Amino acid sequence: MKLNRRRFLELSAASVGAIAYTGHARALRAPWAVPKKWHEGEVRTVYSFCENCFWKCGISVKVEGGKVRKIDGQKQNPKSRGRLCPRGQAGVAQLYDPDRLKRPLIRIEGSKRGEGKYREASWEEALDYVAERMLKIKERYGPEAVAWFGHGSGDSWFVEYLPAAWGSPNAAKPAVSICTAPRETASQWTFGRPIGGHEPVDWTESRYIVLIGHHIGEDTHNTQLQDFSEALRRGARLVVVDPRFSTAASKAHRWLPIKPGTDLALLLAWIHVLIKEDLYDREYVKKYTVGFEELAVHSNKHTPEWAEKITEIPAETIRAVAREMAAAKPRAVLPPGRHTVWYGDDTQRMRAVYILNALLGNYGVPGGFYLAKPPYLEKYPHPAFPLEPAAGGCSGSSGGGEEVPEGYKPRADKGKFFAKTTAIQELIEPMLSGEPYPIRGLVCYGTNLFHSIPNVPRTKEALGKLDLYVAIDVLPQEHVMWADVILPECTYLERYDDLVGIAHKTPFIELRQPAVEPLWDTKPGWWIARELGLRLGLEKYFPWKDIEEYLDTRLQAIGSSLEEMKQQGTLVQKGRPYLKDWERRRRNPFKTPSGKIELYSKTFAEHGLDPLPDYTPPMPVPSGFYRLLYGRSPVHSFAKTQNNWILMELDPENEVWIHRAEGKKLGLRHGEYVWLENDAGVREGPVRVRLTERIRKDCVYLVHGFGHKGRGLRIARGRGASDNALQTRYVLDPISGGAALRNNFVKVVPGAKRPKLERIARLVRERRI
Amino acid sequence: MARYAMIIDLAACVGCSACAAACVLENEAPPGHNRLWIRQRELGTFPDLTVEYRPEQCLHCEHPPCVPVCPTGASHQTEDGLVLVKAERCIACGACIAACPYDARFMNPAGYADKCTFCEHRVARGEDPACVETCPTGCRVFGDLDDPESPLHAWLERAERVDVLRPEMGTRPKLFYLNTPSKTGLHAPEREVES
Amino acid sequence: MTAFYGTPGADPFWHWTTLVHFVLVALAGGTAFFTAVVALKRPQSLGKLPWLALAFIALDLLMLWAESPARFRFSHVWLFFSFEPAAAIWWGAWGLALSALLLLLLGLRLGPVRTLGGFLAFTSAVVLAYPGYALAVNAARPLWDHLLLALFPATGLLLALAVLALLRPAETALWLEITALVSLALTALYPVALASGGADARVAYAQWLRGWLWFAAASLLLFLGAFLARRNPAIAAACAFAGAALLRSWIVEEGQRSLFAHGF
Ligand SMILES: Nc1nc2c(c(=O)[nH]1)N[C@H]1C(S)=C(S)[C@@H](COP(=O)(O)OP(=O)(O)OC[C@H]3O[C@@H](n4cnc5c(=O)[nH]c(N)nc54)[C@H](O)[C@@H]3O)O[C@H]1N2
Ligand SMILES: Nc1nc2c(c(=O)[nH]1)N[C@H]1C(S)=C(S)[C@@H](COP(=O)(O)OP(=O)(O)OC[C@H]3O[C@@H](n4cnc5c(=O)[nH]c(N)nc54)[C@H](O)[C@@H]3O)O[C@H]1N2
Ligand code: SF4
Ligand code: SF4
Ligand code: SF4
Ligand code: SF4
Ligand code: SF4
Ligand SMILES: [Mo]
Repeated sequence: MKLNRRRFLELSAASVGAIAYTGHARALRAPWAVPKKWHEGEVRTVYSFCENCFWKCGISVKVEGGKVRKIDGQKQNPKSRGRLCPRGQAGVAQLYDPDRLKRPLIRIEGSKRGEGKYREASWEEALDYVAERMLKIKERYGPEAVAWFGHGSGDSWFVEYLPAAWGSPNAAKPAVSICTAPRETASQWTFGRPIGGHEPVDWTESRYIVLIGHHIGEDTHNTQLQDFSEALRRGARLVVVDPRFSTAASKAHRWLPIKPGTDLALLLAWIHVLIKEDLYDREYVKKYTVGFEELAVHSNKHTPEWAEKITEIPAETIRAVAREMAAAKPRAVLPPGRHTVWYGDDTQRMRAVYILNALLGNYGVPGGFYLAKPPYLEKYPHPAFPLEPAAGGCSGSSGGGEEVPEGYKPRADKGKFFAKTTAIQELIEPMLSGEPYPIRGLVCYGTNLFHSIPNVPRTKEALGKLDLYVAIDVLPQEHVMWADVILPECTYLERYDDLVGIAHKTPFIELRQPAVEPLWDTKPGWWIARELGLRLGLEKYFPWKDIEEYLDTRLQAIGSSLEEMKQQGTLVQKGRPYLKDWERRRRNPFKTPSGKIELYSKTFAEHGLDPLPDYTPPMPVPSGFYRLLYGRSPVHSFAKTQNNWILMELDPENEVWIHRAEGKKLGLRHGEYVWLENDAGVREGPVRVRLTERIRKDCVYLVHGFGHKGRGLRIARGRGASDNALQTRYVLDPISGGAALRNNFVKVVPGAKRPKLERIARLVRERRI
Repeated sequence: MARYAMIIDLAACVGCSACAAACVLENEAPPGHNRLWIRQRELGTFPDLTVEYRPEQCLHCEHPPCVPVCPTGASHQTEDGLVLVKAERCIACGACIAACPYDARFMNPAGYADKCTFCEHRVARGEDPACVETCPTGCRVFGDLDDPESPLHAWLERAERVDVLRPEMGTRPKLFYLNTPSKTGLHAPEREVES
Repeated sequence: MTAFYGTPGADPFWHWTTLVHFVLVALAGGTAFFTAVVALKRPQSLGKLPWLALAFIALDLLMLWAESPARFRFSHVWLFFSFEPAAAIWWGAWGLALSALLLLLLGLRLGPVRTLGGFLAFTSAVVLAYPGYALAVNAARPLWDHLLLALFPATGLLLALAVLALLRPAETALWLEITALVSLALTALYPVALASGGADARVAYAQWLRGWLWFAAASLLLFLGAFLARRNPAIAAACAFAGAALLRSWIVEEGQRSLFAHGF
């Protein structure tokens, strides 16, 4: 029988029973009437912010008949300005996903991790179970033997608050060492400032933009996409450096199809031209930077002809672009990008990017980088934690104090790399080796162990060795179904989280608040953290009874209140975006040892690192293989939206991009299914072939996030291939701790069958009953 | 009386599909159908390439072939130039779906022909259509062609090129595409039959 | 290369039930038309013909009602509350309704048979003609060429005659032969018409080529229908029926495919 979606929602609401459905006449649709639309009903708006990626756009949630019907951008919010990307729009489908985790689960005694055998438990039992085992680990190995992984805006409780109170320095987010670590480290040691979660690029004022990778348009970070488009509308010229003709490349005036992994050579050649042709901003360089002399000497050898051989970009083009950017300076900018863990020399590549920007005189200047300021916000006055909260978000704070208090251990990955940012992938090693000390327990909050962290076989082995593995998630992701205890969080539309402060041109604070009551027996993260804290004997760190009290206290401290924030959603403060704003107040933004932009880094030299970036070739591609590149679908977030039917109808599977000529050579047909096999023999797929002119011949490309194997993800399961499964190798960036992922090579194995899968619409329909 | 129209600037559209997701939720398109989708066309050869991202939906044709074929008057054109379906009059015969040269219509399982309405319910409240409001690149604009104040005119004037879909159909669409990246316009140099 | 985020509304909108309707409506219109002819020419031999035609109309309407997702809204009344002379289906609805009424009167022998037959000839001709008209107006579907204005009434009548040939072989043999030959001629003309059409000619012809085997088969069946009409009416009827049904179904099914979705 065919039922429309509203009917489905009503039926599932009825079967849930947990929510009082206060719908009006539409509740039971008479077959002779045309169903009414939600917007004909009484609609209430709730302000909050989005959680479908980590950009945190302010949202206006439209609630009608007790259900979330639509999510719009919050007009007064500087991130969304009334607009949302597709993932933000489709959040409703996550909330009402019947595949969600619904109640606490405990792995059946005697079953192995990964077998997926569970029994339902009450929250009491599940939390007691976790606390008891955690305390045992603490007793035997010390608090540091419990690692905390977390991601998302609810992670503050699980990588900052609780671990610091508990006393484990081993708390980490993937967004550092598998995402931004190189650009943050490079920024810290060049400008003495972080880039931060919101890239402070002054897009709209810029006249010349050079994207290194950074596939905006597929990377649909909302505000950035808005500003990028506005810049182009205002006539900015765009150069895109990418081995693949990305969406951004399709908007560019020049596309430089660079040989993968050779960007640093290109950047160095540009530096060379700017200096040799005297095109850089002399005044700016003199006033704000140190180390120009060394740089000038260093760059002698980096001629465009030298770079041409490496990058396969004609020397003439390299020169022309350098001249064009110089002509537009200081309104010419090379944005940092975000996902910068590429080849292992990434901090140096990012250093070169920043040096170029400095030579263009754009840092702290309109049309270049503005200086982002965090908003004024007070901490909750809880007693001091034994450890400093450790993880550091995208802003890549160094990840915990340098000094380790008495009785506590330093983080397990310390000493592996220079910057000491947290490196999540390095915290897996001690689970296996017990070095430098054992890690026996893991609390994993919203971190996709099998899709976001390279070398999955190692991760699985490590999980097998643990005494305790707890997963706090919303979906039965494959890695979740390995946990000993699964604690189902409610989604972002059903909960409060801690306040979020965004460093921005106009700094602001956002509130997350529930739009509807939690479905099933799910709980918000703050509640889970607090209940666990109480059971772990950490009650003194939880002087607040509930989140409202906690939030209100923090907001009162800055002259606002929870009530006020609920009404306005976003609290915007004044910024200090440009150097001139700082100079007027006689303040120096550059927190480097020299107090200036360090083209040459003495600190690096002192630590035996290249004080000026130099080119090192990436790992070569073995013959018969292609380099595996990856990126984003505009429609999906990582590996967490593939069970969202609205998004899956838009983009149901990823494809492996292969140049048409290469495909012909391999005898492949467009649309056929193949396997991908990496040089370690790992096979992944089947995945559909996309024969295209839009990519170089030496690499293939996959959108990240597909290839789910979790049985509980009925829509996601079996569609497309996982890049992460093929990334069994990573190269550790010795400076930032970043795990460089683009050193994996695959061959294409034809002859896979088209997977037999139910149409998504069918899956959605079936589950309405 | 108005003459509502929409513009999509293809120079800016990145095919992100935010508009499509917004439309599903605003207008409750049932699973398996949508009022709006995005076509991506790759043209040229390495490294001389063009990619066109072209959102498609009902064009609210001035001469809509979908209206006269409707046997009940369910499919109709309003005074403001919107082409709409009175669901309660629709017998779900499918004639209008066959008549539309743009595949803009589908049969809603609730028993009526469904398609983009230019979000008339929002427009009536003085708001932009859902797809226009959310578009992160701001490449969409909606307005009244008869209103000299409407931003439509400025957009049309500024455009290097204005196209409509399948002009040979004589439908006079009121969805205009600006700045198509391909030199051959919205049409492939060579039409192919689906293989 | 063309790809999509989301899918255009290019799914087939008519299903096998619609194909059956296209056969049933032909049987309805054709038998009604034959009934009208008999009523005009030899009213005394009308027999149960009106009831047969009426049965086909009822069957067709039942089919249409049952397959409509709007069936419980009973919105079909709007067909008769509105005046939509531009819409083929509106004509079809009135054609079927009036034919049904006239057939009922004829069946009950109420009123002047010849006059009723005269009216019925007109209303049933509408029923025979409207499906082809409904298809041919769709400029966007190249396979639904103007030739269908002739092909559909011809094959429609043929379908009815094939059924009648089993009941009244003597009266229908010549009709069957002629109609089958006309249908065959039109079928042969069809690809030529497609290929010489307007801008869509190439596309339409290519589309036809994908079904040429069906056409060959249908043509053979039509030929057999004509050839055997007087020798073996039963087999001729079966052949003609199969040929006409095949032809109509393929054209409807294949013609609704969107060329826009994938061809541009
Ligand atoms: N829709 C959507 N948007 C997102 C996300 C999402 O999940 N979905 N995630 C967000 C997050 S957290 C991040 S970190 C960002 C990631 O997005 P970006 O920061 O833009 O990521 P990049 O890795 O720079 O960009 C990937 C591009 O790099 C190209 N590339 C591969 N190898 C090379 C090379 O050697 N040299 C050069 N020059 N280019 C190369 C690829 O072809 C691809 O086009 O996206 C953010 N935005
Ligand atoms: N192979 C490969 N690996 C990558 C990348 C890549 O491109 N390729 N990208 C890297 C980058 S740039 C980043 S930023 C990281 C991202 O890394 P992750 O954040 O780990 O990525 P996701 O796949 O989004 O996983 C999020 C997890 O949180 C769960 N979740 C979603 N919402 C909630 C919630 O409200 N509460 C709770 N408790 N859980 C929730 C999801 O079900 C999922 O299990 O991945 C990195 N790893
Ligand atoms: S960019 Fe999109 S998914 Fe990310 S927070 Fe904003 S609306 Fe949500
Ligand atoms: S939201 Fe805007 S940019 Fe994105 S696909 Fe739609 S029209 Fe294009
Ligand atoms: S696009 Fe199609 S549905 Fe819309 S008015 Fe034109 S013909 Fe009718
Ligand atoms: S499907 Fe409905 S709107 Fe379309 S022609 Fe038939 S009755 Fe009219
Ligand atoms: S105008 Fe409204 S109905 Fe039409 S495509 Fe946009 S959102 Fe959908
Ligand atoms: Mo990231």
